[in-house]
Amino acid sequence: MTKHTDTIPETRRRMLGAGSLTISVVGAMCFCIILFWVVIALIGPWLAPYPIGKIVSMDVFTSPSRDYLLGTDYLGRDMMSRIILGARYTVGVSIAAAFIACTIGVALGMISAVLGGWFDTIVSRGIDALIAIPHLMFGLVIIAAIGSSLPVLVGTLAFLYFPGSFRIARALAVNINELDFVQVAKARGEGFFYTVREEILPNMIGPVLADFGLRFVFIVLLLSGLSFLGLGVQPPNADWGALVRENVSGLAYGAPAVIMPSLAIASLTISVNLAIDNLPRRLRDRLP
Amino acid sequence: MITRMILTRLGVAVLTLLIVSVVVFVATNMLPGDVAQIVLGQAATPEAVAGLRKAMHLDQPAVFRYIIWLGGMMTGNPGTSLVNDIPIVTLIGGRLHNTLLLAGVTAAFSVPIALALGITAAMWRNTLYDRLVSFATIAVVSVPEFMVATIAVLIFAVRLHWFPALSFANDVHSLGELLRVFAMPVISLSFVVSAQMIRMTRAALIDTLGQPFVEMATLKGAGRVRAVLTHALPNAIGPIVNAVALSLSYLLGGVIIVETIFNYPGIAKLMVDGVATRDMPLIQTCAMIFCLGYLALVTVADICAILANPRLRYK
Amino acid sequence: MKPDFDKILRPADTARIESAIRHGATRRELLGMLLAGGMGAAMAGTVLGSATKAYADTPKKGGSIRAAGYSSGTTDTLDPAKQSLSTDYVRCTSFYNGLTSLDDKLSPQMDLAESFDTKDSVTWTVKLRKGVTFHDGSTFGPDDVVYSLNRHKDPAVGSKAKSLADQIGEVKKSGDNEVTIVLTGPNADLPVILGTFHFLIVKAGTTDFTTANGTGAFKCKEFQPGVHSVAVRNENYWKGTGPYLDQVEFFAIADENARVNALLSGDVALIGSVNPRSTQLIKQAGSFDLLTTTAGNYTDLNMRLDTAPGSDPNFVEAIKLLLDREQIKTAIYRGYAEVANDQPVPPTNRFYNADLPQRPYDPDKAKSLLAKSSLAGTRIPVVASTAADQSIDMAVLLQQSAAQIGLDLDIQKVPADGYWSNYWLKAPICFGNINPRPTADILFSLLYTSNAPWNESHWKSERFDKILVEARKERDDAKRKEMYGELQKMAHEESGVAIPVFISNIDAHSSKLKGLKPMATGGMMGFAFSENVWLEG
Repeated sequence: MTKHTDTIPETRRRMLGAGSLTISVVGAMCFCIILFWVVIALIGPWLAPYPIGKIVSMDVFTSPSRDYLLGTDYLGRDMMSRIILGARYTVGVSIAAAFIACTIGVALGMISAVLGGWFDTIVSRGIDALIAIPHLMFGLVIIAAIGSSLPVLVGTLAFLYFPGSFRIARALAVNINELDFVQVAKARGEGFFYTVREEILPNMIGPVLADFGLRFVFIVLLLSGLSFLGLGVQPPNADWGALVRENVSGLAYGAPAVIMPSLAIASLTISVNLAIDNLPRRLRDRLP
Repeated sequence: MITRMILTRLGVAVLTLLIVSVVVFVATNMLPGDVAQIVLGQAATPEAVAGLRKAMHLDQPAVFRYIIWLGGMMTGNPGTSLVNDIPIVTLIGGRLHNTLLLAGVTAAFSVPIALALGITAAMWRNTLYDRLVSFATIAVVSVPEFMVATIAVLIFAVRLHWFPALSFANDVHSLGELLRVFAMPVISLSFVVSAQMIRMTRAALIDTLGQPFVEMATLKGAGRVRAVLTHALPNAIGPIVNAVALSLSYLLGGVIIVETIFNYPGIAKLMVDGVATRDMPLIQTCAMIFCLGYLALVTVADICAILANPRLRYK
Repeated sequence: MKPDFDKILRPADTARIESAIRHGATRRELLGMLLAGGMGAAMAGTVLGSATKAYADTPKKGGSIRAAGYSSGTTDTLDPAKQSLSTDYVRCTSFYNGLTSLDDKLSPQMDLAESFDTKDSVTWTVKLRKGVTFHDGSTFGPDDVVYSLNRHKDPAVGSKAKSLADQIGEVKKSGDNEVTIVLTGPNADLPVILGTFHFLIVKAGTTDFTTANGTGAFKCKEFQPGVHSVAVRNENYWKGTGPYLDQVEFFAIADENARVNALLSGDVALIGSVNPRSTQLIKQAGSFDLLTTTAGNYTDLNMRLDTAPGSDPNFVEAIKLLLDREQIKTAIYRGYAEVANDQPVPPTNRFYNADLPQRPYDPDKAKSLLAKSSLAGTRIPVVASTAADQSIDMAVLLQQSAAQIGLDLDIQKVPADGYWSNYWLKAPICFGNINPRPTADILFSLLYTSNAPWNESHWKSERFDKILVEARKERDDAKRKEMYGELQKMAHEESGVAIPVFISNIDAHSSKLKGLKPMATGGMMGFAFSENVWLEG
């Protein structure tokens, strides 16, 4: 889009126009929420009122009180401390994994689309084969073969989600590759990487970012599944998804122990996605 | 061109399946413990394990057993389960039907709604409607699946008694019963699979709307609806159908949570059981089914993408 | 529940009145019947009052239920020898009978056997019940017993009871309705052992277990591993009483929430294994009851004595003192547990040693012990997994107690998948989960002797082994109690196994389902509810 932003036609401007002020308001709010969680993740250990594994109350699934602002969990531990200390896993691990997955997926997808031919076939079909391996089995094999640690967790999540990213990116790039300005650039004798970086990527960045946002959501959710297996986050620590899972029997009582971590997840994932939707057009174009 | 592609794909699909089966075979063997140990569980004394291994022919090399399985598969016989001696075909038969039924109903329900939401959100980009759709989509997909399903059961089965808490596939004899039994699983699954379709449809359409040729069309006076439907949509079909294919492929092997909570006997649970007991023929056959389903979906997606895009079609 | 007014009425009257009540006779009609029988009016009124009350609790025939257990998979089996999950026990107990069955005090009651006789606890003569038929119509006889017992010794069968069955030297037919069992060594508990789940009797020659051909109260109508089973009433059941239900459909719902919801929504009438945190919800709903069973299963902490850090006795004792058993009972089990004392014999067992002083929660003493052990300051891994019930929560509590005295425990959560073959008995410190066993002898010989297959802490004591063999021979119960008491003391003091609590199992059922009572053999009425329950109204 670099070459066309200056000449946005009237219709486009009208379509964008109506809410251009509120865009930044919603976007800014989302950024604030993300920033908030990132800060919590960084300084969590100094903020948490109680040790994460300590049973502070004989009552379980309690409502918020002065001592325990977000109530207590299924064992009587302070929910607020657990959410604060869980932030680093959900925020940190998920963003890292989503970033790695999308970078690899998009890069491979674009290269495959532009090169085409045998390279495309081999990479595409190879990745099809990867997708067919069940997540659960893959997680178990990783634990058995490599063991459990946070880097392994990030790597596993990225590995499980890059194939999806690849498919979407490739499909986008194939379409763009056929457009006139790309063909013109190629005819002009521009190099392969120039074409990919300057012509293809800027023109598919919208859907790619949307895909990143979604993949982030999926990774946040799968994270709890893998930590349930024992890959990565070790007790008494727990990521937010795991907090929801371990307290799910409080659902029937409407316990904050299950609702609060769900809200934390939702606030983060919604913010990431809406922030992407509301990125200023110009910024988006220059991102790569 | 399409015919050639389909033929190539078929050839490659066989190759892909072979690769998958090798990968799954290696993965199964990397998992600690074998079927004899797992089946005996806590009762696995060395002597008992050795005896059972012999009875299950596990004393033969793993590669040899794999080749036997592969040979059987070629002739259409996936073998028998190691843990219960029941033919794999019998074990899978009814469950595959259940899985396909649930996947079919979910797809029929969620795909049209998701596409409609995505397209309309793109048409009225940045309006309140668009924001609401985006917000709701992410909110819905951010809630863990087991929670959606559990909340649905708490409200509609426990409190209101509208639907049964469990989905007995044998109870389905009429359309009414089908709706009653499937309502909650289908809604829970739709929540999960729709997001990717809605978001990608919206994003791909908006991006295409910015392309010069669509801008030309709008300059020439095409209305918003027309610009989206006749100019942008065909060019955005590629990523959209891919998103649909990726989402739907989840319905084959990924529905373990919904199967567990609604006690619906499908193939995902069978695969999990297979992995848990290291039942090689069962794992392999399930993996083949998932892979085949996935390949079929992406191939259809690729064909749609080519058919929809004139430039690709005549290449 | 049997009406106790048989003494007042003649049997014929009882039957007539019972039948009349069942057919909905009014009080006036019943009074008329009694008066016609020559009874005074006042007396008749009293009798009738107790009669209707008793009959309200009297089993009713008919009806069908759906019941849900908690574990199921492709390993589901109708082969008694291979049973591994509660689901299998439920199915097999409804389709088969054993030579004996265990009552609520774990004493053997005669089922397919009429009597067990022995002089030396080695050679046993077992008289078999006559006139019992299998579901396929064939007659039950000695050959079936010989076949059923010998199967366990064949490794190819994959019997879970192989280590128990190996003490059976020979089983042979010694008459038309008699078998003789010769053991490899004396064991006074044989009738108890043969009353356990794996020793249910199958038809001689059976190798195909896709359906069940037993002598039990129900016939197998449908069975799909990992899906469900449908059991229908056996009209020719040799026990005159049950079953009361026409049909029982059984399956498992692995997710606890889903299980409770299925009960509350009325989809199933009985569910096994309820989380203590769900009990409040079930009670609030009103029309459901709980069935609590403390059978003696436990999750234990295993410290291997043959490797660091468990090789240091001070460390082992310190960890045992660091287990806050009351907290484990209240926080993890919400009170649905009994504090245990680092030995495996539960208070329900007749050989339980009540004089053994309870090991307290004593961080101070643990700290001073630890100071002697040179382990303070090192990071010690503790392996936990969802495979061992609640072990992760226990590990977290232990970690907290340990942190207070400066001991750094590193919890390593590992997959439930493959836990029993990869970590249990192998990791230096890990958790185990042991199901109840009917006798102290089985518990000790499985778990504590030097050559025990599951010697969880790799503890070796010649004196222990010797006393156990002697106790097995001993037929004087008072002496046995003394011996087993000593063994419990030794396990408590010397082994590396810490047993914090005995866990109570909680089942829940519709109030309309009657006849359930706790059994020491396990939850869901020792898994044998099908035969004993009936539907009210």
